Amino acid sequence: MTTISNAPVPASKSARRIPYVSHALLIFLSFLAVFPIYWMIITSLRPASEIYSPSPIPSEITLDHYIRAWTAIPLGRMMLNTVVTAMSQTFFQLLTSILAAYAFAAWSFRGRSVLYALLALTWLVPFQAIMIPNYILLTQMGWRDTLWGLIVPNIGSAFAILLLFQSFKSFPQDLMDAARIDGASNWGILWRVIFPNLRASVASLGVLLFISSWNDYFWPLLVTSRPENSTVQIGLQAFMSSDMNLWGPLMAAATIASLPVLLVYLLLQRQVIDSFVKSGLR
Amino acid sequence: MMRRLIGVVISVFALLLTGSVVAQDFPSIPEGETVTIRFYSYNLGNATFGPGTERLIAEFMETHPNIIVEGVAVPSPDMTARVQADIAAGTPPDVAQLVFDGLDFFVNNFQAVPLENIAPPEELNAHFEGFSPNGLRLGQLNDQTYGLAFTFSTPVFFYNADIFRAAGLDPENPPTTWEEVREAALTIVNNTDYEGVHIAGLSSFDWVIQSLIKSNGGDVLSDDRSTIRFGEPEAIEAIGMWQDLVMSGAHSRLTDGDVVEAVFTGQVGMYLQTSALYFGLSNAARDNGWDLRAAPMPQFGEKATVPVNSGSALYIFSNDPARQRAAWEFLRFVTSERGYTIIATELGYLPLRPAIVEQPEYLQEWAEANPYVYINLEQLSRLDAWDSYPGSNWRQIENILLEAVEVAVTSDADVATVMTDAAARAQALMP
Repeated sequence: MTTISNAPVPASKSARRIPYVSHALLIFLSFLAVFPIYWMIITSLRPASEIYSPSPIPSEITLDHYIRAWTAIPLGRMMLNTVVTAMSQTFFQLLTSILAAYAFAAWSFRGRSVLYALLALTWLVPFQAIMIPNYILLTQMGWRDTLWGLIVPNIGSAFAILLLFQSFKSFPQDLMDAARIDGASNWGILWRVIFPNLRASVASLGVLLFISSWNDYFWPLLVTSRPENSTVQIGLQAFMSSDMNLWGPLMAAATIASLPVLLVYLLLQRQVIDSFVKSGLR
Repeated sequence: MMRRLIGVVISVFALLLTGSVVAQDFPSIPEGETVTIRFYSYNLGNATFGPGTERLIAEFMETHPNIIVEGVAVPSPDMTARVQADIAAGTPPDVAQLVFDGLDFFVNNFQAVPLENIAPPEELNAHFEGFSPNGLRLGQLNDQTYGLAFTFSTPVFFYNADIFRAAGLDPENPPTTWEEVREAALTIVNNTDYEGVHIAGLSSFDWVIQSLIKSNGGDVLSDDRSTIRFGEPEAIEAIGMWQDLVMSGAHSRLTDGDVVEAVFTGQVGMYLQTSALYFGLSNAARDNGWDLRAAPMPQFGEKATVPVNSGSALYIFSNDPARQRAAWEFLRFVTSERGYTIIATELGYLPLRPAIVEQPEYLQEWAEANPYVYINLEQLSRLDAWDSYPGSNWRQIENILLEAVEVAVTSDADVATVMTDAAARAQALMP
């Protein structure tokens, strides 16, 4: 006779070890991720004489590098420019990509596949190839050295459209049809039916776009002439040269520059992780 | 008598005519007009060099109230791309600070305007008086002056006197030849925990490599600018010396970027690097408590060194006559005695008007407090130009040389094979 016991089967030794191993691995990986940030902050607080010290704890804390970074470049103004540029680009890229993704997902029109393929191809065109024509146009419009010049050429994003299209496509067609039968316009379907349901996807995409815009270097370098009209990524260059870097002020400026992005991460942690899972690492 | 009178009248008339033609040929700023010029500078945005450059601009505008200079900070690695973009957009910078290795490209592709087209000969000659002839030649191509040497340095042999003492070496008698460097470096390595020597020649530019090759009697480019020469025996021997330093353990195995930290914290005995690093090194030596010294670049046996400069020249790209004139006035000021006084004291570069180090109203006092400048000036007399490779592939050719030398000195590869192969590949990219 066979008896079946309901008693829990004791986990094997190897199975019990797994959480410890995986936790140790996760702790190690977290350390690898967090340590450079810690080192950046601690370097920014070290006295100049200890800037190359391997000690993880400085003998004394100084704000000298922050004062130097703040006075050497218009850091506050550059931060403001970067915030305005990154937020504007993110807002407009989301807006244009939501509208475009809806058009591709909800409407059936002649040439849709060709248009979509062309759009996908533009994503593959490197920035260096379109940089000069964009710059010439911008110059003719008199937008050089202005925030308009930083924002307007980047209000559309093929990457964002392609990503949102995939989300919109998976939205049930029946729900859209039902809304249409109830008399909803395309505008109403988009903002009252689809958007509330895909808010998480849009938010995670927004985080990615914001970070990408925040870290943009070459376009602001090309478009802006005066430091007070430029972004913080250009400002960091002030502390670097081919022969040597001013590590103290550079780390101080980098710490200040990374604060908003760290804040975005903290506030929208879940969306950031979702966005990486859904779209892959950029 | 009448004939003589007619002759004199004709001569005077001809002189006047010639004078008026000359005057009309050269651009000028219309009376009562204010001209604005844009100046692209990689020093300007930099926390170390920016304030001195801003002072140059401010003093110039004080003395030239009819000219406004808009300084535009562009990082050095991105300067060529930025100037190219602006030329394509039809708005070239009026003046740009560009490094010497692209001279040929800037002349033939960016259409830099020669100073001979902008300034009358007598004005140009008067300005060139007192200017180092070797420094002046650096910006010249096809007998015309396209770039006026601005910020400028030569390779200087820095050493740590404390490490010398710890190793039992005499800091008052630093090595003068590469053989002596090898011996001294091995003494340091064997007797202390410090690194022996480091040649900082593998960063973005090839001017230190050119210095070594030329100092051994070789060259990287033929005089007629048609043949690559860094595959020749003198070049192979020079790079072979470097490889031997590394393989023997005399030379550090750190990268040029990593070694800066080691040098600054007093861990490296000897360091061949641009004199422009002097301010940074002296600050680091003070902060970290070690004794910084400087000596001329070591030589190969009995051959006198042929230092090659690093640094930049100012080029005029403006198409507008009034702005060309304003740009020339700016160039004149920043390369004047006063200009070089600011450049030497606040930016740390070499004064290309050597006489001002003996003039109390300019640099005498400062030079006595900073004697490394005399080493630089002494090397200036033997200086050879940093060769710019011709054609649009100049950057690739420079990279081929840099990569080949990196392979040669960081491995036990056969230097002759590496260098001749690199020279053949570079030759294929020549116009």
